[in-house]
Amino acid sequence: MTLEVKNLVKTFDKRKILNNISFKVENGETLGVIGFSGSGKSTLLKIIAGILYEDSGSIIFPKDSEVAMAFQYSALFDFLSVYENIAFPLVERKELRGKYTQEEISKIVHEKLRMVGLEGIEDKYPSELSGGMQKRVGFARAIVTNPNIILYDEPTAGLDPVTSTMIENYIVQLKKDLNAACVVVTHQLSTIKRAVDKVIMLYQGDIVFRGSVEELLSGVNPYAKQFVNASIQGPMNIAT
Amino acid sequence: MFELNKTLTYQGLVLFWKQIKDFLITLGEIGVNFSRVVRYILNLRINISETIEQSKRFAFDSLPISLTIVGMTSIIIAMQLAPELARQGGASYTGMLSALVMVRELAAVMSGFAIISMVGSSFASEIASMAVTEQLSAMKVLRVDPIEYLIVPRFCAGVLFMPVVFIISATFGLACAGLVSNQTADLSLLNYVTSMWHGLYVRDIFIAILKSSFFGGTIALISCSCGYATRGGAKEVGLATTKAVVWSFLAIAMWDFIFASIFYL
Ligand SMILES: Nc1ncnc2c1ncn2[C@@H]1O[C@H](COP(=O)(O)OP(=O)(O)OP(=O)(O)O)[C@@H](O)[C@H]1O
Ligand SMILES: [Mg+2]
Repeated sequence: MTLEVKNLVKTFDKRKILNNISFKVENGETLGVIGFSGSGKSTLLKIIAGILYEDSGSIIFPKDSEVAMAFQYSALFDFLSVYENIAFPLVERKELRGKYTQEEISKIVHEKLRMVGLEGIEDKYPSELSGGMQKRVGFARAIVTNPNIILYDEPTAGLDPVTSTMIENYIVQLKKDLNAACVVVTHQLSTIKRAVDKVIMLYQGDIVFRGSVEELLSGVNPYAKQFVNASIQGPMNIAT
Repeated sequence: MFELNKTLTYQGLVLFWKQIKDFLITLGEIGVNFSRVVRYILNLRINISETIEQSKRFAFDSLPISLTIVGMTSIIIAMQLAPELARQGGASYTGMLSALVMVRELAAVMSGFAIISMVGSSFASEIASMAVTEQLSAMKVLRVDPIEYLIVPRFCAGVLFMPVVFIISATFGLACAGLVSNQTADLSLLNYVTSMWHGLYVRDIFIAILKSSFFGGTIALISCSCGYATRGGAKEVGLATTKAVVWSFLAIAMWDFIFASIFYL
């Protein structure tokens, strides 16, 4: 399943957040998206997921694709338990209604919970979980339908290093198992190193770096260098 | 120097235009949501378990306050009316008058108000908070339409269970009025009930049931729509709730007027 973004433009209140963004993600490939806070990374994912609309440009993927998104702030249904959250699309989506028996659903949900290391919290409600736990439940809910386009919005932010590694491994694993096209928004170099095949960097609406992880880390591109070295001096100015 | 856009008149007009625009946008949103709800219902895509859940909320949650309001109002009216009627030799009309007032107007409107404050406001605030925490977005990405999952069941609950609330609270109100007349005007309960029968018309009851159904559907639809369109944060959730309550009150007044004009003019 290929995902292609072509000449994407998005404006909020006359401010151009995304200005003519184009890229392609192949099956079994993960694109990392980096950039300052407020550079439009979440906006980009939301447009791909179809919950925000572009001003112009196009998002191209096969019609029968199953798109999934793990939200930056989890976006768990707070009136449903963890179990019901993860089972939600299997139970409530019209095309899937009645396709699985209760036992099958229970098996799938438990398997996903085991994957994110959260067995035994099925009956808890999102408000009873820590931020990192919510994040992992959101991850489990996103992948429950075996998607082939997966969008992760900062999947490892706020997680301890060990859990981060676990999630990163799953991002790699899932990509292979489902042969999915993945987009990972992240600030964490560890995630980029472990889970990403190629990277784009957004700054003031433009893609200022595009290349492999090695190229990102090599420090040839001044924007990439500033980001990787976390330095205040450089071509990018945080104030804008 | 004279600057047009700093004059009070200009700013007043801008504010007025903004209000009008907001009004039209809200009206449009309610209309769009209504048409989508109707389409789901016509396609029989009604989530039964959610509808039952919401119906319980609609009927039971609001019942204590509905009964209190309708009961109190009818007690107060009977307290003032019954002794006066008795003094002027019309004691035997007490039951009839109570029945007319209760069935035609009081029970439906008062329980409508109770339901707006109990159920409508909570519909609006819960859906609004789902909107601002991206739960509605998440639902859409999971390809479950929030209109189908959240609004259709609430709308159905309103349409089906507001009449039930009406019937219960009207009965309760009439009983209260009877007891009070009995106490304050020495009217025998038998006399009250006999007279009440003269004021109870099957046609009135049917119209009132239909009217409550419209009230219930409208309250649910407006409350859900106001919540659904919310963007922002905690402040906007509050504003959405207020808006839902105000709009629902106005809508009820409007329906009441329309029903009265159609059936009693
Ligand atoms: N609904 C909206 N209305 C108006 N402006 C918005 C809206 N959503 C986002 N923005 C603006 O768009 C810009 C990009 O926001 P976005 O959430 O995409 O950033 P981000 O790159 O994901 O940042 P972070 O790393 O902090 O998550 C921000 O400047 C934000 O103010
Ligand atoms: Mg973001």
